[in-house]
Amino acid sequence: MSMKASPGEYRPTLWDGLVVAAVLALAVITALAVYTPRSASGTLQVVVSAGGEPLETMPLSAYAGTHTYSHNGYTLTVHSDGTQVQVLYSTCPGGDCVHMGAVSDAGQSIVCLPARLVIRLAGSGADVIVG
Amino acid sequence: MRRMGRISTKSLALWAVLSALALGLSTLDSVIPLCALIPVPGVKLGLANIVTLFALYVLGAPAALTILLVRCLLGAMFAGNVSALLFSLLGGFFAMCTMILLRRSQRLSVFGVSLGGAAAHNVGQIAAAMIVLGDTAVLDYLPFLLALSVLTGGLTGLIVSRLLCAVPRLSRQ
Repeated sequence: MSMKASPGEYRPTLWDGLVVAAVLALAVITALAVYTPRSASGTLQVVVSAGGEPLETMPLSAYAGTHTYSHNGYTLTVHSDGTQVQVLYSTCPGGDCVHMGAVSDAGQSIVCLPARLVIRLAGSGADVIVG
Repeated sequence: MRRMGRISTKSLALWAVLSALALGLSTLDSVIPLCALIPVPGVKLGLANIVTLFALYVLGAPAALTILLVRCLLGAMFAGNVSALLFSLLGGFFAMCTMILLRRSQRLSVFGVSLGGAAAHNVGQIAAAMIVLGDTAVLDYLPFLLALSVLTGGLTGLIVSRLLCAVPRLSRQ
């Protein structure tokens, strides 16, 4: 087995700290860009889309109850009490969308990658993700 | 055919073993319920990147790229999922290109290269998710995934640094 690495490359250096700082700075910048410019004007809307196509849009207060969505071979059972939304059950592998819990604020979303389904809470105006 | 002749049987066997190991670690990664602890879709430890990074340091970039490609193709084939191929290919190539570039800097250790690769992997996966979903909603998770990549990249870097220390001893045996 040939070695193309020098032993000096095994130990952390101060320059590695610079990479850590750069990654964390990028995380903060993207967080500010994604979360700060939210404007929840008026009533919250539940926007459900599948494969990029909008399926359903209605006020959160009117969304109360249990809803079932089937897309891309998977079925999601979504529940809302009129103030928050959560996926109760999903046939997708992993069930990440169930583990994500409830969303209740403008801009928050639940994503199910296998089902290609997005449930987003938006302000009554345009899309809340501005940045 | 002439190019193939330059690869020794030993190298070919080593590439195959590392590809199989990467595939196994990738499968193990997918069954670890990390999302139950960290509720972000697609969050993983990135165990298969241990093999990619190890191959990059020990065998060089062409071998590491080949192992990555074999792992992505076989992984998608076994999963029977085309979108899984897009996720692993975009994430893997973002990570690989970043690690190759960072490794050219003589000042960074395997930890820095691993951290950069982990962050780039997450950026690639978010890009794949945006293509698959046709929606930018997944961008919400990028800050969390980038912050987590410091931990996962650090873990990968630690494991690979230990492996690299052990390789000269193993070669002598």
